[in-house]
Amino acid sequence: MEHPNLHYQVIRYIEHGEGNFADLLVNVHRRQRELCHPYHEYCKGFPAPSTWREIPPLPLGAFRWSRIATFPESETVRTFRTSGTTGEGYGQHHFATLDVYHAAAMAGWRRAGIPGHRVIGLAPPPTETPHSSLSAMAGWLVQPEDFFWNQWERLADSLAAAEEPLVLFGTALGFLDFFEFLGDRALTLPAGSAAMETGGYKGTRRNLPKEELYALFQKHLGLEADDVWNEYGMTELSSQFYTRGLKAPHRGGSWVRGLVIDPSTGREVGVGETGVLVIFDLANIDSSCVLQTQDLAVRHEEGFVLLGRDPSALPRGCSRAADDLLSR
Amino acid sequence: MNTASRADALARAASHFPILGPCSAEDLLEVVRLELGHAEILDGFRPYGANFARAYCLSPLLHIVSGNTPHAALQSLIRGLLLGAQNRMKLPSEGLPEVGEFLSLLPAGLRDRATISTTLPAEWLREAEAWIVFGSDETIAHFRSQARPGVRFEPHGHLFSLGLVASPTPGAADAAARDISLFNQKGCLSPHDIYVRGDAAAFAAELARAMGDFAATEPPLPVTVAEAAEIHNVRANYRFRSASDARVKLYESEDSLDWTVIYENDPWFASSCLNRVVYVKPWPEGDPSAALGPVLGWLGAVGIWPSLPEVAELVAPLAPSRICPLGHMQLPPWSWHQEGRQNLAGLVRWVDFEADIR
Repeated sequence: MEHPNLHYQVIRYIEHGEGNFADLLVNVHRRQRELCHPYHEYCKGFPAPSTWREIPPLPLGAFRWSRIATFPESETVRTFRTSGTTGEGYGQHHFATLDVYHAAAMAGWRRAGIPGHRVIGLAPPPTETPHSSLSAMAGWLVQPEDFFWNQWERLADSLAAAEEPLVLFGTALGFLDFFEFLGDRALTLPAGSAAMETGGYKGTRRNLPKEELYALFQKHLGLEADDVWNEYGMTELSSQFYTRGLKAPHRGGSWVRGLVIDPSTGREVGVGETGVLVIFDLANIDSSCVLQTQDLAVRHEEGFVLLGRDPSALPRGCSRAADDLLSR
Repeated sequence: MNTASRADALARAASHFPILGPCSAEDLLEVVRLELGHAEILDGFRPYGANFARAYCLSPLLHIVSGNTPHAALQSLIRGLLLGAQNRMKLPSEGLPEVGEFLSLLPAGLRDRATISTTLPAEWLREAEAWIVFGSDETIAHFRSQARPGVRFEPHGHLFSLGLVASPTPGAADAAARDISLFNQKGCLSPHDIYVRGDAAAFAAELARAMGDFAATEPPLPVTVAEAAEIHNVRANYRFRSASDARVKLYESEDSLDWTVIYENDPWFASSCLNRVVYVKPWPEGDPSAALGPVLGWLGAVGIWPSLPEVAELVAPLAPSRICPLGHMQLPPWSWHQEGRQNLAGLVRWVDFEADIR
């Protein structure tokens, strides 16, 4: 069965709220179950869902082992790759069109309340990293001349000369590199400026608590914690969640929802309890609209507080951990 | 107290801790004899080649214990007390109640030779003649960098262990299930993978049955949310793979995370997320060191079934520090060369005496 209007319906829902999330998600899931053979086989192990919450979540590893797509390979217009930091190869997310991803990224950015100023990129431009979903998104937000990845001197000069408020957009690692470059130097951005950091420190063995990173924003750029947004997303998704400052939960648009699941029972945890984050992303229309992440989160009345994949919380003992294998 | 009386008191206390396995006074004295040459060499000069020698323990000893497996802490403490040293043990922040319980069972003369704390006083670092450090590479590197010149440094890093079933005869699966399940698989002697010569897929099914049986009599310890999430995630990934790949099969406890067996027809070593999650794989007949390359150098124990010399020969080139019968992996003898080294020999100073007895 074909669903020719589904992409259009999803974009209308993302941009204008037309339609019903539950109905659309179930339709998207049915289509994926029909057209993506590995997912079809996987779903055989689960009862048919009666509501969107019962759709079988796909583990992220599936993107490494199988082609998770509802369309033939010949129709692929873009493939984004994961960083491969798990040591088991790259996950690949294929797209037959970037229209839905674009709609979700732009609408999500607007809904997060990030000021609509000129955006400065501290991430690689899409021309340099065509397989990065983050760079693709940056390419829609940042003018080509406003990418400053690894050009910290040029960036410092540009920021020092800025007269209009800006939004700095980059990975946490990019910001950290830039702050290290600045040393003791502090810049003063025009009033109303903001920053949006994302990513983390995957594969680098560097880590910095969020409080310390945000203190560096204050020290080097004069930005208070509430001037800094964090984006939570991943290559396998098409939508993002945002939070502002240090205390607020992550929230997404109406087309993307995160449920916090008790890993022992598979049921949603109560407010304030910790579990595994499962994401229902309507914009993932051509791959899998329900993903089981590897991240822990605390359920919040208005979203979730991300804990991430906390290595200190993992099994301890004197048995060696997988990370040690990867570091060889 | 001399060595024999210390060994006697330690063995009596150890008998209250099944996790330590067999630990008689004779077992402990045998380790002294094997490593130092004479069971009484800590008590006075004893013949040593053509002359005499006496071993003095380094003292105080500083034990730094991380993780939550009490047997490593107890073993280290027993060794230090057996040598007659003053012992100072830094416990993990959440403590290890077993250590205090063990000390309470010792006579005053021995109990007074050990102090435990969840903090690490500066004087402990300053005064110790030897540091025995358990932990991750990062932990060991940290303390090694802090140790002053001249301090003996005995690191005990984390290890991988595995099993090899050369002939899947009755009893093999139950033996493997025991080794996997004890201590929730968190010990350095807990196997991550069971390799099988022959029908590995059939053995995986049998192991799943045995894991269920073991869990029915000895349920797993509670797991944290993060640990549960790891098991949940591993299961989901292998559930996906097994749905469209007959070379992979997932067995799991129903309605619980109690145990998980993953059959994978790929001999490449897989690191378990622990908590009774084990991989069953075909033994790489041609070149085991290629499939096991990532763990070479970190291989603790290999449990073999049956425990015969020809089976031991298969795994010996991988240089594990211990090859033992499957089913007995968690009960190493006191003479085991942990990480390929002696355990007492590095903690003594020798005084040689060339007597004029012509």
